[in-house]
Amino acid sequence: MKKLMRMATPIVETVKLRKTYMLGKVPVEALQGVNLKVQRGDFLAILGPSGSGKSTLLNMIGALDKPTSGKVFIEGVDASTLSDNALADLRQEIGFVFQFFNLIPRLTARGNVELTMTIPGLGRDRRRKRAEELLETVGLSDRMNHKPAELSGGERQRVAIARALANNPKFLLMDEPTGNIDSKTAKEIVELVKKLNRDKGVTIIVVTHDQQIALQTRRTVQMIDGLIVEEKVN
Amino acid sequence: MKISDIFSFAFGAIRLRKLRAGLTTLGVVIGIAAIVALLSITQGLQTTISDQLQSGFATDTLIVSTQRGFGMSPGAIVAAESDFELLVNYTQIIDEIEDVDMSVAVIRKLGYIKSGEREFMLAIVGVDFAKYADVYSRTFVAEDGDISLSPENETVVVGKRVSDPWENGTAFTNVDNIVEITWTNASTLPPKNETYSGQVAAVLKEIGGFGFGGPSDTNIYIPITRAQSFFGTDECDTIIVQLENDDSATIESVSEAIEEAFGGQVNVISSTAVLDTVSTIFSTVELFLTGIAAISLLVAGIGIMNIMIVSLMERTREIGILKALGMKNRTVLSIFLSEAVIVGLMGAAVGVASGWVLANVVARVFTGGGFMSAGNQAAINAGMTITPVLTPTVILGAFAFGLLISVIFALYPAWRASRLRPVDALRYE
Ligand SMILES: Nc1ncnc2c1ncn2[C@@H]1O[C@H](COP(=O)(O)OP(=O)(O)OP(=O)(O)O)[C@@H](O)[C@H]1O
Ligand SMILES: [Mg+2]
Repeated sequence: MKKLMRMATPIVETVKLRKTYMLGKVPVEALQGVNLKVQRGDFLAILGPSGSGKSTLLNMIGALDKPTSGKVFIEGVDASTLSDNALADLRQEIGFVFQFFNLIPRLTARGNVELTMTIPGLGRDRRRKRAEELLETVGLSDRMNHKPAELSGGERQRVAIARALANNPKFLLMDEPTGNIDSKTAKEIVELVKKLNRDKGVTIIVVTHDQQIALQTRRTVQMIDGLIVEEKVN
Repeated sequence: MKISDIFSFAFGAIRLRKLRAGLTTLGVVIGIAAIVALLSITQGLQTTISDQLQSGFATDTLIVSTQRGFGMSPGAIVAAESDFELLVNYTQIIDEIEDVDMSVAVIRKLGYIKSGEREFMLAIVGVDFAKYADVYSRTFVAEDGDISLSPENETVVVGKRVSDPWENGTAFTNVDNIVEITWTNASTLPPKNETYSGQVAAVLKEIGGFGFGGPSDTNIYIPITRAQSFFGTDECDTIIVQLENDDSATIESVSEAIEEAFGGQVNVISSTAVLDTVSTIFSTVELFLTGIAAISLLVAGIGIMNIMIVSLMERTREIGILKALGMKNRTVLSIFLSEAVIVGLMGAAVGVASGWVLANVVARVFTGGGFMSAGNQAAINAGMTITPVLTPTVILGAFAFGLLISVIFALYPAWRASRLRPVDALRYE
């Protein structure tokens, strides 16, 4: 019974989620009441024109920002009630892949992946071993000691994915992961992400303009003007 | 996050900006070096001076002078010129006072001593040899020759540095030598040189120090009666009073009695009072100098703050990333404070070392030789050696202060960094 209930609890759920930015005195309604449920093991694409609020939504789900109103539940816990510290702990359990990689320039590929694991306080040997495994998984075993500036866009994005996976996150959030790389490399990244979902059961929410990615996912939602207007199961 | 990881991350950030971190550290280095150098020199100087005062100064003596004389007491400053003269035979009055063992009058004038071709400027001191040797039984002692207790008129006793001014055994004058003693009487018009020939009867053993009040390595001594006739005066500069004991009650009562006996026209100084005054002066000087040095550290602190605020803006995105990865506010704070701690510690370490080197260089420069030569004439001066003193307290204090300043000034930038909201930080271009 208990197990069933847990199964039923969505890993991510947003309820009437609103976000209003104030540009001076002009309010910008980035989200206007988004209701979304994501189950464990899902692979969801969020589509929509530029400015429709996709990144804003992803930031709310990733506990990087707080909603103006409405709620975000992560495994049934209301994130808006959490303290700064608890939010930080929560973020440790969420893998975030950014459009612009956001790697730390002075650290090597391995250093960037390891850094994620120093935050929960993993020991040196264990995090080094895991970083090497992860970089191997994303196909970068021969680029471990390269700094971001010495890597191609596709390689950087793979480092970012390896980093996002380092702490065994509950789910992976990706904001236009292929937005800054060529279509061939993008294809490889898509394959990698798909494999993660299929083989390792990682829950993935990806924001994209890219139809190629959207077609590979299990489910897509379409956003316009801060609202989800269409849901489709592939 | 583990402390070691926090420090290694902070260290990595510092290493990335070596030049900037170096310049920030330099600010701390200069401040700490200044403090350490000043403190170790003043402490060294203080040790030297009080050692020398103690060796040249018996604790059971008082020095009586006119208010025009050497004034170490506050009263000396206010006193107007008075006609009062301290005469040699006033020792008889002082000797009558209870608890006074005896007293000895000292006449001191600047003059010249000539032996062979060379001539030195120095202090010519007239004293009663027997009494003086009694009061300063440790220092008015002959190394060569004898100090006659009832000397001939022409007898001269010279200090060690007068006999051996170059400190290498080449004697300027020695026992049995005839020396020419000259004094310029400026009270006549035109000033007139008085000269007589004396015979060196003894060379004092080395005293070291200034011989403050007591005998000195750089003086020559002639019998008091000879001094009176030579200088044409019965006035003396000081009267040294030997007490029965060195109880503070005795010192006080005798001091008062002497002042009273001369109607308040004399200064009475005890050696302990001089020592106290000197150490008070030193504490003040030390405090003052340290204060100045501390201001330079304050400036360094503002430099740290400035640089940290700049680097905070540069690293906004990095902070956003760290927070997105789940780093807590307090960990971000610790990273920035660790950077300040590293800068502070390095600055303090280098600062203490260079301050110590600086102190030694300065001490070397200021520790002049025993003797300054100017042509054929030369003035003998007491060779004063300053040995800088670096106490553990100073080292610890320097580290603590360097660290404190760095951390205090880093507090605000670090706090601001820790409060950045992850989305805002990530959006920062
Ligand atoms: N910090 C902010 N301050 C003010 N307005 C903002 C802010 N962030 C986003 N917006 C506005 O909110 C709306 C949604 O922005 P969002 O970044 O979520 O769009 P998006 O769907 O991710 O677009 P894109 O596909 O171009 O990335 C936009 O109109 C944007 O101008
Ligand atoms: Mg976006």
